[in-house]
Amino acid sequence: MAAVPVLEVRGLSKRFAERRGRDPSSWVIKDLSFTVNDGEFLTIIGPSGSGKTTLLNMLAQIDTASGGELFFQSQAAPIDDPKSLKPGLSRKIGYVTQEDNLLPWRTTLQNVLFPLLVQRRLDSETRARAESLILAVGLAGFENHYPHELSGGMRKRASLIRTLVYDPPVILMDEPFGALDAETRAQLQDDLLRLWSLGRKTIVFVTHDIAEAIALGDRTLVLSRSPARIAGEHANTIPRPRDIRGIMTHPQFAVLYQRIRGQVQ
Amino acid sequence: MATPQHTESPPAAGQARIAASLRARGDQLLVMVLLFAIWQGLSLAFGTYWIGSPWGVAARLARGVASGEVLRHASYTLLEAAAGFFIGALPAIALPFALRRLPILTAILDPFMMGGYGAPKLALAPLFILWFGIGIESKIALVAITVFFIVYFSAQAGVRALDGRLVQMAQVMGANERDVARHIVLPGAVPYIFTGIRIAMPYSIGGAVIAELISANRGLGYLIQLAAMNFDTTGVFVALTATTCIVFLGNWSVSAVDRRLLRWRPRPDLDMQAGS
Repeated sequence: MAAVPVLEVRGLSKRFAERRGRDPSSWVIKDLSFTVNDGEFLTIIGPSGSGKTTLLNMLAQIDTASGGELFFQSQAAPIDDPKSLKPGLSRKIGYVTQEDNLLPWRTTLQNVLFPLLVQRRLDSETRARAESLILAVGLAGFENHYPHELSGGMRKRASLIRTLVYDPPVILMDEPFGALDAETRAQLQDDLLRLWSLGRKTIVFVTHDIAEAIALGDRTLVLSRSPARIAGEHANTIPRPRDIRGIMTHPQFAVLYQRIRGQVQ
Repeated sequence: MATPQHTESPPAAGQARIAASLRARGDQLLVMVLLFAIWQGLSLAFGTYWIGSPWGVAARLARGVASGEVLRHASYTLLEAAAGFFIGALPAIALPFALRRLPILTAILDPFMMGGYGAPKLALAPLFILWFGIGIESKIALVAITVFFIVYFSAQAGVRALDGRLVQMAQVMGANERDVARHIVLPGAVPYIFTGIRIAMPYSIGGAVIAELISANRGLGYLIQLAAMNFDTTGVFVALTATTCIVFLGNWSVSAVDRRLLRWRPRPDLDMQAGS
């Protein structure tokens, strides 16, 4: 695949603002540069507290950077001033957060339709798409349930397809399967890969689980402890479609695992 | 897929809930009988001149309802309370939303609102009667101002309890300011607004009755005043009972609306029925 960069990060840095009675905090992220190619599944791994969520918040334009530049399809996206931030970059960047952040007063179906509603794109075609996604992740029969009536795994599924339904070209994911049991997690990873293979979106997937980073990604970036820098980059050529449950037996998996583990402190 | 036991449980849970609810009803009945017994006992001990007997009150109430007299006064009080309630509650709900994006104005207003909240509103009744006369206007004004401050602070708490992460999510998806206000701030504040309404509702009826006590020629407060002047304690009890009935009715309607609007919340089991 010819590598066309869709997202480019140059010298990105972040420190949180000074407050009274507190020294200016040290750098969370310092001078971070990388690119994400079109249609690529990039996984980013780093120890907890290494600024992974902060990084995604800046990419999603809901947090400002203290320095550096961000380019989307070679266009500069200003991220140093809170006033010029454009959350989601005009619906170009979707964001699946760590918590499901479903609206508790909307049913599963209403939550999935929510982005279409605020984008004024609710019609029979987009509704059909929402319904097929609900079917694809096994939420059929739960369309009219409220979030508190769903299990953790079902809420994750709902929050995932809520972003897929409006088809943003880039999707950021922040440890979306972090709090799930092993089996539910494997199922969701499976679902994600299946849905991704249909649409081939660009995905930036942050995790602290090495196995997950290898199983899902085309390429894995390793972040160092804060201030976050790139500690390693690993191309991953394990063929697709991948079998999530059997991938550990692939010879390349063990090699990658050893190398990445050496870099994650 | 996923966890079906989640959905299989409701029938059993529902049965348990009904059983618990019946149990609570039975206990409520017991407490009611006990209260009537105490009332009857006191009435026997002090004589019906001081404390009208439950039976005497019930008979008078039935006669009053049949003749239409009690209903006439009760509906007048109810009208005052309802009018005042809406005149007070609607701006109290709207104002925190309007002030949401104006933190400086909110900060300027806050101490005055707090003062209004703390001031004894019933003490305003004589003033309102001077201003608006002894007709319905002065009662509505008193109810409105009482309800306004209670609902204002609960609506404000609801607006402030906004979860910023939900707003960010919606913005990433392309929601504008109006979408955020309509689909996130408002529904998130509804439970708080209802808490305020639930508290304000009995105050609205109490406020109307007290304003009538001071000066009126109609309403349940007037009935109480008239009976007391004639040393007719049974008459006072009849009017009080009618007032309590209205409060129950109000509570029940608020609960009904509340249950309908807040279906999305986990069922708080029995505490909902406690008020109705």
